Amino acid sequence: MRSPLRIWGVVGLLILLHFGLHLSLGLGESAPDLLVVALLIAAREVDIGWGAGLGFLLGLLDDAFSILAFGANTFALTLVGMGGSRTRDLFVGDSLFFLTSYLMLGKWARDFLHWVAVGGGLRESFVDTMLIQAPISAVYAGIVGLVVIAISGLGWETVR
Amino acid sequence: MPSYKSDIRGSGKAQSGFIAFGFLVLSVIALYLPDPSQDEVASLLRGSVLRPFILAQEGLVRRSIHAEDTEVLQARLDSLEAVIANSNTLSEENARLRSLLDLSGRTPAQYVAASVIRSGTPGSESMFLLDEGTRSGVTKDSPVIMGRGLLGVVREAQATSATAMDWTHPQFWASAMTEDGSIYGFVEASRGRFREADRLLLNGIPFQEELEAGVVLVTSGLGGVYPRGIRIGVVIEESDAQEGWRRSYWLRPFVSPGEATHVQVRVSRGTPDTEVRAPR
Repeated sequence: MRSPLRIWGVVGLLILLHFGLHLSLGLGESAPDLLVVALLIAAREVDIGWGAGLGFLLGLLDDAFSILAFGANTFALTLVGMGGSRTRDLFVGDSLFFLTSYLMLGKWARDFLHWVAVGGGLRESFVDTMLIQAPISAVYAGIVGLVVIAISGLGWETVR
Repeated sequence: MPSYKSDIRGSGKAQSGFIAFGFLVLSVIALYLPDPSQDEVASLLRGSVLRPFILAQEGLVRRSIHAEDTEVLQARLDSLEAVIANSNTLSEENARLRSLLDLSGRTPAQYVAASVIRSGTPGSESMFLLDEGTRSGVTKDSPVIMGRGLLGVVREAQATSATAMDWTHPQFWASAMTEDGSIYGFVEASRGRFREADRLLLNGIPFQEELEAGVVLVTSGLGGVYPRGIRIGVVIEESDAQEGWRRSYWLRPFVSPGEATHVQVRVSRGTPDTEVRAPR
């Protein structure tokens, strides 16, 4: 059952969990990027304006700790929110293949946009960041996202 | 007759597109905001929405420090007592020599003990929060020190917290010298392929000077940020990166940022006080 209450409850919980794991417990990169999973789930439910707005707000929260690259997360998540909302018009299916690709590509795109926006002084090599680290993070976030969708009963056909 | 519904949908879509474009423009503005405005927004968020998460980590860090093995703490206390006992004679001798030379007494440095909080969010690598701020005397550019040497420097300070960067940050640099003060240069962070491979590069050493492996480098006090004499690292080998008639050396820092949970922040206050103030 995909009631709005359930969807937004799961999104809210993922956001809380993200900051709980990354910030309160200080797990860093060993914890998955639940913020992008939450944004990608929410973006499928709203139009492009709301998707961008949610991405903007979540990005600002993530940027509160990146003093020398402030705005990079905001820029990346705003675009991911917009892109996620656009997929509603472009892709109708909710197959496992679509969901996996959607979550993984969404996370990879977020890392890529962050890498682009972060500025030359702080940017690490493309190969190490985007071809080695980002795909691993994308697979991690994708798997976690699928598990969340499955256990929360959000009702996507194949997962259910 | 044109469909009324589709018109509404069309205009709604256009409106939504405008809103999305507006947020995109705002995000680009956030990216190019001047540093003070960015700092204001960031500290506002840290002090409001994210405060409960930061408080939770502060609590956990304090608990982990309190849970540290008492035997380890006792061993550290014993070592410190031995150092103090040995330095008593030196202090007396120093005071006597200063009075002979008619020099006034030095004002000892004051340190504030603080807990390190890492946010673990993307883009915050090499940055950490401290649970002490301007109320305790911590200011921008206060050096952050761990037992064995320099960890980093405070970037900005609020009333009860501060944001600092460690030596792995690409913008970290410090003026350095050998312990005997004979050779000067400056150290900067050099990123490895992975974070564990990060190390320091000592640059600007005159070509006629050579440093052996194992030579200890300390801050020289010339840069105006770090006071003289804070231990930075030890020379490993000469680097290939040479600039003109200058040599470069790889350094192994004394402090690993990953170990940092509890640090000392050097503060400048008028009171001649050598005590290390305990965290709140």
